[in-house]
Amino acid sequence: MEKSSDFMLYTRIQQKEKAALEQLYDRYEKILFSFLYKMTEDRDLAEEALQEVFIKLWRGKGEYDESKGKFTSWLFTMSRNSAIDLIRKQKKPSVPLDEIGDLVSSETAVEELAEWQEQKDQIQEAVSELSSEQQKMIQLFYFKGMTHETISTMCNIPLGTVKSRIRLALSKLKKTLHGVQERGAIDDEY
Amino acid sequence: MMNTNCDHVVDYLNGTLTAEEKQTFEQHLATCADCRELVDAVGELPYLAEPAEPPVGMKSRILANVFEEEPQKQAEPKRPVEKEKTVPMVKPKARRSSWAPLIAAVLLLSLLGNAYALFKLADEQQPATESAFQSIELQPGEAFGGSAKAAIIQEEGSLEVVVQAEQLEQLQGDEVYQIWLLKEGQPVPAGAFTPDADQQGSAYYSMTENTEGWDTIAITREPEAGNETPEGEIVLSSEI
Repeated sequence: MEKSSDFMLYTRIQQKEKAALEQLYDRYEKILFSFLYKMTEDRDLAEEALQEVFIKLWRGKGEYDESKGKFTSWLFTMSRNSAIDLIRKQKKPSVPLDEIGDLVSSETAVEELAEWQEQKDQIQEAVSELSSEQQKMIQLFYFKGMTHETISTMCNIPLGTVKSRIRLALSKLKKTLHGVQERGAIDDEY
Repeated sequence: MMNTNCDHVVDYLNGTLTAEEKQTFEQHLATCADCRELVDAVGELPYLAEPAEPPVGMKSRILANVFEEEPQKQAEPKRPVEKEKTVPMVKPKARRSSWAPLIAAVLLLSLLGNAYALFKLADEQQPATESAFQSIELQPGEAFGGSAKAAIIQEEGSLEVVVQAEQLEQLQGDEVYQIWLLKEGQPVPAGAFTPDADQQGSAYYSMTENTEGWDTIAITREPEAGNETPEGEIVLSSEI
């Protein structure tokens, strides 16, 4: 339901309907800003990245269609790429490894955002089933937007291995998330 | 072939594919459920972020910039006629600010002249067009020291608003003084201005739609230009 209405909004945005863009903005402002802030660790940079995203949405021509997977995945990937571009332009020094936080935090306080919390619980559960090495790969690759080369240097792992470890980590994530979501769906029924 | 494409998923996610490779991979994505599921699963990761409170005014800043970024060719043809005509003196303060009150004054005189001529005309002949002129003194809100006068000239099919303000508090950053017309509490923007070095500011606004029934004029101090609804406090206002 959510997915098709996102897609409908996107279609209306393509037809230059300002209200549709604003509605999409309202729907995703909080999660996108939080995500971009996590990546950039800089509020101004996060805002700049978010602006890039919406400029692209407004001016882009039909880049998304449903064959590319979920709308949110596409939107988040585009957002992440905007943040990566900005981070790389800034050439911010890499965060030392020992300052890379945990992916799974013990307590969260998102009471008012029930939907977000539900998704967060599921993805946290799936991530917690990854090995710490795999979690680190995802943290560095996904949230820090590091290139394979940087990860290879930082973690002292051969370049080829970095890529296959990321792939394995993502594959396992996909499988466990499936399991978690299916279980969640069954729980919901009862 | 399939495997080679699947190999690209990490690079795709990391935005390191060339445009051509990206396109090829996206075609592959449409046919490979495995890769699509992987991309979707990764698409859940942002929910791991701790909620961060967006900066104040971010929404209006972003939306203003997004709609401003629109190529002019596309923006213009739709409604070429009744765009707002402000005398904003927003950016190049030093050079233009001293002219703005003068321009506004000239416009005001000219409009007064028009209104007068129309009144005369109306007296002498059967009224061909309805016309009304109103001069309004705006009342400052609590703790605001400035003052402003507005002239509202209504003719058949158009409404002109001229505002001149004095002793204004200086603005900070992107702030502007925004004029609003209100009808039963619903505001529409009617020009904006920033004060010059002498703390004066003025604006001229013309509308050709929805020209009747306004009951209030107000000026707010907005965090940035281009807001469609007021965010800042009302500093001056009056019934019309």
